[in-house]
Amino acid sequence: MSNEREVIGIHAEAKRGNPLAHVFDELTRFCRARSLFMLHYCTGCGAIELPPAMTSRFDMERLGIQPMVTPRQADILLVTGYVSVKTLKRIILTYEQMSAPKYVIGICSCTVNGGMYWQSYATAKVLKAYLPVDMYIAGCMPRPEAVIAGLRALIDDIEADRAESWKRYYQHYDHYLGNQQSLFGDDWQTPTDILAEAEHYGLLGEHTRGKHTALLERHQRPLEALEMRLRVPEEPE
Amino acid sequence: MRPENYQAKSHPPSNEYELNFGPNHPGIEGNYALRVKLRGDRVIEARADAGYLHRGFEKLMEGRLWIQNIALVPRICVPDPTPMEVCYSLSVETLCVLEAPERAQWIRVMQLEMSRLAAHLFAFGGHAATTGLYTNMFWGVADRDLILDRFEELTGGRVYSIYNLPGGVRRDVPDGFLERLAALLDYLEARLEDYDNLFFRNQVFIRRARDVGAMTREQALEWGVTGPNLRATGLAFDVRRDDPYLIYDQLEFDVITQQAGDALARNLVRRGELKQSIRILRQIIERLPAVPGPVRVPIPNPLAWNAPAGETYTRVESSKGELAYYVVSTGGDKPYRVQVRGPSAMHAVRVLEKLSVGARLEDVAQIMFSLDACPPEVDR
Repeated sequence: MSNEREVIGIHAEAKRGNPLAHVFDELTRFCRARSLFMLHYCTGCGAIELPPAMTSRFDMERLGIQPMVTPRQADILLVTGYVSVKTLKRIILTYEQMSAPKYVIGICSCTVNGGMYWQSYATAKVLKAYLPVDMYIAGCMPRPEAVIAGLRALIDDIEADRAESWKRYYQHYDHYLGNQQSLFGDDWQTPTDILAEAEHYGLLGEHTRGKHTALLERHQRPLEALEMRLRVPEEPE
Repeated sequence: MRPENYQAKSHPPSNEYELNFGPNHPGIEGNYALRVKLRGDRVIEARADAGYLHRGFEKLMEGRLWIQNIALVPRICVPDPTPMEVCYSLSVETLCVLEAPERAQWIRVMQLEMSRLAAHLFAFGGHAATTGLYTNMFWGVADRDLILDRFEELTGGRVYSIYNLPGGVRRDVPDGFLERLAALLDYLEARLEDYDNLFFRNQVFIRRARDVGAMTREQALEWGVTGPNLRATGLAFDVRRDDPYLIYDQLEFDVITQQAGDALARNLVRRGELKQSIRILRQIIERLPAVPGPVRVPIPNPLAWNAPAGETYTRVESSKGELAYYVVSTGGDKPYRVQVRGPSAMHAVRVLEKLSVGARLEDVAQIMFSLDACPPEVDR
C-alpha cells in the first residue's frame, strides 16, 4: 500500500481545521483496534479452526476480538474458505449491512485463487474481485496461530490507518459491482444503496459510478416485502 | 435500492409468519439455513435451505486421479474427516483387489476412534453453546485440540491428515506416540466426570433437551437415520459391530443405546461412545506394538494407475452415522462416478424438517445440534 494516500472526507476536514481532531482520530483508531467484533458466519471449512482460536487454548479474546452475531454490530467479516455462488450473495449482502469501518479477511487458499476447487463449477474463485479484502491468511486450512497472527497484523494496520478496504469499496464500486453482475446477472441488486452511502460519507470517487452502476439504476425495482411462499395445508375448521 | 423505492406490502392480519433461520445465525451449525413458518413461537412448517456449501465434489472427483481424490475427500465432512479418507481408501482397495497390511488396519482404526472422540467433543461443545452453557464449549474445544495435537504428530496435519491411501497408511506411528496417546486418554477419561457434572447432569441442559425432537424407532428407520441418532431410539445397530470392517471384529466394545429418541438421549449416546472410544484406543495401544509388518503395500504408479472396471459400495461408521462410498470404475485412471452416502444428508434435511414441526423456535437449534448434522457433507 502506498504511503501517499488520498486524504478524503472527514480526514480532509480535520486536516484543514482543528489539529486536535487528528489526535482524536488516533485515539479512535487505538481504541477501535482493541475491540474488534468478528462476524459469526462460517462460510466454509476454515471455520473449523475458529473455535480453537476463540476458546481457551489460543484465546482470541485477549486481543479484544469476540464473535458477534449480527452484521450491523460487527467489524470483521471473516470469509473462511471457499465461497460458493449462493454463499457469495449472502456475503455481499452481509458486508453491505455492516457499518463502516469494516474489514474483510480472506482465510484459506480458496479465497485467494480457488484452492482445491479451482475447477469446481459452483464456487467463486477470487474473492477480491467481488469484495475489497484487507488481509489474506493462506493455508488449507490455516492453523489457529496463523489466524491470530493475521488478526494481529490487521490490528496493526488499523492502528496505522492502513486498513482502508471499505473506502475502496465505495471509491471503486463500479468495478466490484461489475464483477458481481457478471456472476449473478444484470439485474443483481442489494437492499443497500451504496451510491447514496458513498455520497454521504464523502467517498464518491471518479470510479464510483460507471456503466455498471448505470445498469443497476436501470434495473432498479421496488424491493418486494417478504412473502409467505410456504404452502401450509388447510386446517379443518 | 433507494429507500423511497421500498413499498411495504400489506398482508391480511395473521399470527403466522415466516422466518429465515440462518445461514448467518448462531443457532445454525455451519453455513446452513432453514426457512420456518411459525404460529406464535411454534413451528408449523420447516424447509431446509441447503446448498450454501455446494462445491460439486462428486463431479470434481471424476476429474482427478484415484490417488488425487485422497486430498479431496476429507473436505467433505470437516469436523470428522478421517472416516472419509478411510472409506474412500477401502473402496479403491476393494476395486483394485488390494488389502492393507494388518498393521495399517490397526493404525486406521486408531485414527477413526481418535477422530470420533474429537468430533463428539466438538458436538457437545456446539450443543452446549445453544443451551447457553459456554463453559462446556470452551472445554470441549480445548480438549479436542489435544487430540488434534496427536493427529498432527501422527500425520502432519491438524484437521485434514491425508494420511490414508489405498494400500495402507503413509507412515508408521512415531516413536513414543502410543505413550503420549495413552497419557491423553488418561486425561480425557478423568475429564469425563467433569463433563458429566458440567453438562450431562446439568438441569439446564436436561430440561431443555428432554422430549425435544423425539422420534420413534420406526420413524428413524423410515427416514434413514443412522449412527448415534438411531441408537438413541433403542436400536443397537452399529456398522462397526454388525458389518465389521478393518479389525473391529477383534476389538471389544459395547454398542450404546438409549430408549427415548430425543435430544437428551442422542447426547447421552454420544457421551457413552466417548467412553467406548477410549476403551477401543486402549486396546489398540496395548496390541499395536505386537502387530508386525509394513504399513502399506506397493501400489502401481499413481499417475498411470488404472483401476479394474467394476463397482463397489463400502460403508463405515463415522461419528455422525453410516457413511458409504459407491464408486464405479470403467477401467480408467479416474473414477467414472463416485456417490457419497453421507449420514447428515438425511439428518439435516428430512429429519430436521420433520422433527422441527411442533417444536418451539428456540428448540430448533437444539434439534439441529443434537442430530449432529454436518452441513458441508449435506451439500458436498
